[in-house]
Amino acid sequence: MQPEGSNEAHVPIDEAQLIARGTASAVEPLDGITRAQASLLGAVLSALMGRQIDVTRLEPLGPDALATALAARPLQFRHRIVHHMVLGELILRPIPPEVARRVEVYALALGIDDRFVRIARRYAQGAFGLAWLDLHHSGFAEHWERARKDQLRTRVTLEHQLAAGAEDHDLAERWMGFADLAPGTLGRGVWDMYRSRGFGLPGSIGGASAYLAQHDFVHVLADYGTNLQGEFEVFALIGRADPDPKGFAWLTTLLGLFETGYVADAGFFSGDLRERQLDGIEMHLRIADALRRGQSLCERLGTDLLDVDYHAFAGLPVTEVRAELGVDPKGERAVAAGSVGAFDLAGMSRIQQEYAASIDEGVARR
Amino acid sequence: MRFAQGIRVRCGDPDGLLGLLAEWDRNQATTDVMGYIGTRLLADRDDPGCYLIVAEFAEVDGDLSPAEEAERNNHREETERWVQKLRALVDGEPDWFHYDELYRTGITGNLRTG
Repeated sequence: MQPEGSNEAHVPIDEAQLIARGTASAVEPLDGITRAQASLLGAVLSALMGRQIDVTRLEPLGPDALATALAARPLQFRHRIVHHMVLGELILRPIPPEVARRVEVYALALGIDDRFVRIARRYAQGAFGLAWLDLHHSGFAEHWERARKDQLRTRVTLEHQLAAGAEDHDLAERWMGFADLAPGTLGRGVWDMYRSRGFGLPGSIGGASAYLAQHDFVHVLADYGTNLQGEFEVFALIGRADPDPKGFAWLTTLLGLFETGYVADAGFFSGDLRERQLDGIEMHLRIADALRRGQSLCERLGTDLLDVDYHAFAGLPVTEVRAELGVDPKGERAVAAGSVGAFDLAGMSRIQQEYAASIDEGVARR
Repeated sequence: MRFAQGIRVRCGDPDGLLGLLAEWDRNQATTDVMGYIGTRLLADRDDPGCYLIVAEFAEVDGDLSPAEEAERNNHREETERWVQKLRALVDGEPDWFHYDELYRTGITGNLRTG
């Protein structure tokens, strides 16, 4: 469980104002906070703290003043605030070096030595290759060393968990067995999702790694699509639900792949900059809502969602698993902003839609 | 403006060179931000066995130029250890080159484009 005072959901309005002022001051470029920064940070403050604050109309607040304001808050709370700052700078393209340095000053004032602050500094410096090595090591590799593996139900040890899966007959059989479960169960839902998109099953050649496949259970449980917008939502939720701040690596990676180009290839996804995903307020609201749901899960479950044994829940109705784990419904604003479900056509990428259309409805591919 | 340090070597073990550079990068990636921002290893098609290592440097806090950052890097103990390993791997003495970057295609500020 998280220490008392860790959750941004219980922040008084005066303190939320100070956080907003400090965050905006930390990430503001020399020519002023950008519209996208203001929109995203405003959406995050609204979703996580329940406070409507116009980030463009705030008095500056320096690092020491912010540190004084948050002195009574536990480390984890201050760490999350630093991640809001990093989020606010990671959507800049390019990141002005003075912003990256300023965020580091704020982080240090708050007593936070954070790897993602360093990664943003590397982006600002133009050291993209080193930044990816840093992100991969600090965000993922160190995390796996501590993570449990038995929930993956595989005996195959991958060189690294983001790599494509290796052949594992028993694991593939287990996933194939989900097809026989009743409609509405978690396992059947994941099976249907794989089938409709033509995804390779874990354990089969070319399939996802058993580790990454864990996030597909979350697609079904949280009801997020599998296009880029849906991936942003699902990994924002997973990252924020992780009690370890390293969970922020997921959102950092997706921003680099699909928004700024700071990450060319992450192993499990390749960069795609054909469309800017975070230009409009809709995705800001959707990501903020996913963070809120993740925050709530972090509070209730206190476990990395990729460590959960979903195979044990596979035969249960999705609604029951949601209740068991404590998955909140989507917020109305996120739904109104276009957050669609895992089984909506609009939640698929163009290629996935084409694949789905090509399937003969009368034949269940096994 | 960036700074590039070139190291021209003759070597019969290109995999060893790759390994040496990858090890360096892994170590640099998890330390504090410094002037070093990355390396390229180029093989000479006209002179097989000849390689050019191009290490790039940029500003860190604005108080030192990229060339000064490179000079600071030269004096780090781990750099000196790395150079010893390089010398053990290559034939003869490496040739060193030092260049200030004046132009780069398609770059706006610090952003990689294309």
